[in-house]
Amino acid sequence: MAEVFTERENPSSAAPIIEFRGVSKTYPTGTHAIEDINIRITAGEFVFVVGSSGAGKSTFMKLIMREEKANTGIITVNGFNLTSMPRRQVPMLRRTMGIVFQDFRLIPTMNVFQNVAFAMHVVGASDRDVRREVSKALSKVGLGNKARSMPAQLSGGEQQRVGLARALVNSPDLIIADEPTGNVDPNMSYEIVSLLTEINKRGTTVLMVTHDHNLVRDFQHRVIMLERGRIVADNAGGSF
Amino acid sequence: MKISSIKYLTGEGVKNAWVNRLMTLASIGVLVACMVIIGLAILISENVNKAVGKLEQQNVVMAYMKDYNWALYGEKDTSSDAASADTDTAQEGEASPEETADANGIKPGDYVIHNDEEAQALCDKIAKLSNVASVTYVTSEEGLESVKESMLEGQESYFTFLDEEYGNPMSGAAKITMKDMSKFDETVEQIKQMDGIDVIQSQNDLADKITAIKRGIGIAGFWIIAILMVISLVIVSNTIRVTMYNRKLEISIMKAVGATDSFVRIPFVVEGVLIGVISALLAEGLLYFCYRVATETIITTLNTTDIVHYGDVALLLLLIFIGIGVFAGVLGSVIMISKYLRREGSEFAAI
Repeated sequence: MAEVFTERENPSSAAPIIEFRGVSKTYPTGTHAIEDINIRITAGEFVFVVGSSGAGKSTFMKLIMREEKANTGIITVNGFNLTSMPRRQVPMLRRTMGIVFQDFRLIPTMNVFQNVAFAMHVVGASDRDVRREVSKALSKVGLGNKARSMPAQLSGGEQQRVGLARALVNSPDLIIADEPTGNVDPNMSYEIVSLLTEINKRGTTVLMVTHDHNLVRDFQHRVIMLERGRIVADNAGGSF
Repeated sequence: MKISSIKYLTGEGVKNAWVNRLMTLASIGVLVACMVIIGLAILISENVNKAVGKLEQQNVVMAYMKDYNWALYGEKDTSSDAASADTDTAQEGEASPEETADANGIKPGDYVIHNDEEAQALCDKIAKLSNVASVTYVTSEEGLESVKESMLEGQESYFTFLDEEYGNPMSGAAKITMKDMSKFDETVEQIKQMDGIDVIQSQNDLADKITAIKRGIGIAGFWIIAILMVISLVIVSNTIRVTMYNRKLEISIMKAVGATDSFVRIPFVVEGVLIGVISALLAEGLLYFCYRVATETIITTLNTTDIVHYGDVALLLLLIFIGIGVFAGVLGSVIMISKYLRREGSEFAAI
């Protein structure tokens, strides 16, 4: 990871892990997805991002991952200045974060172990490290005994836990979860968010996009509410 | 890049080819066909070149020299009178020494070949021309024999009569073969300009035909290879594209967890190269088998052995095939994956 920090702005605990300053994003089609957003998320926080469809949640996430570039403003994530960062540095930024998708995105031809190991191979980990870290990550999400199962043999909740293990396996500073409970039943949703809360307690910042208001109320974390590309609420303690 | 990554990515490339085996097989089939056609074009071209080379060797140029004896030809019986007349003139001192003709009427300014040494020296001079492959000195006696041999019975007796009555009608000559028939006229002109050369006999129409055949084969070969190279590239690119779309999910996850573009690209390049190399080996084997069968039939039917042996070109063909395979594999995959990563490789919207 030493390589990662060479172009970062010396991250420290006091510095925000995500910062948006006057950020706007307009797509070439003319859609104003994000307008003049200012936000500061410090290391170790758990933040829910809520909003109706078309509110700008996906664009917000894409901007953090540097899949999209802001038209105006400055975005800093994990010490990387995303506004001035060259494209070749994007993989280094992404290695500092773990991503959980709504549709799990597990590779159906790989078993559970291989799906998680895949994220480590990408960053060039040795086979020994892969074996050790994948086992640890699977134990953390309670799937230590399912390493050889294929995704099709797992329930929706279990599949999402594999996705979570994959996001965790490279020990990221930040977890971005894009509606991770969208495809699982309510009980399993609580389990997933409980797991994320556990991970957050160990020091990892969690940013979770959700539509599920019950979850937001029950877990009592900071809530950022987006509407028509603007932040309309930013409250601590699950109120919005 | 770490060794563990290279090992992993190579394995992924091989796995890709296997998972996508139907498409891989189809690509190998088309690539083998392209390579075999390229190989056949090369073999045909080599065989035609060999045949043309033989023709070139046979297409000799005869450069007849200004032979001293030949200059006097037909005046044998009057040579003594002419000599006495010249002597008288010289004694009278009416002409300068440079213009004075000798006893046979040959002036010093007339460059003539007096003996075999001078003739050989002229041959050596001709041999120094860049396009001359070989020069052999043919004496007038050898020339006459050769002419007689090529004549029919009645015609031959005419030359025998001439020889007995007036002396050998042939002059010494240089028998010349050339390296490059396309420079034929230019070389003949250079020889003509040399002192001591009287007349040149050549078959420049044959030289033109040989040059035209060689040029035609060269052009046809170039276009066959160029077109088939493009076809090979398109085939491999398409296979890679299919694999790429099959692996869209994997690519999106790879990019989301921080894979570099080259990391994403390498398995596809490995797959492309693998297809290319397997095709090259199969094409080499298939071509060897086909060529052997074809040449055996030709040798038996036409009773000729003037055929290029496969062993002489086997390594060259294998290198060409592997070159085409690797070129098509690397370029096809790099083009496809780069295009994909640039335009469509969105992590969120990948599926």
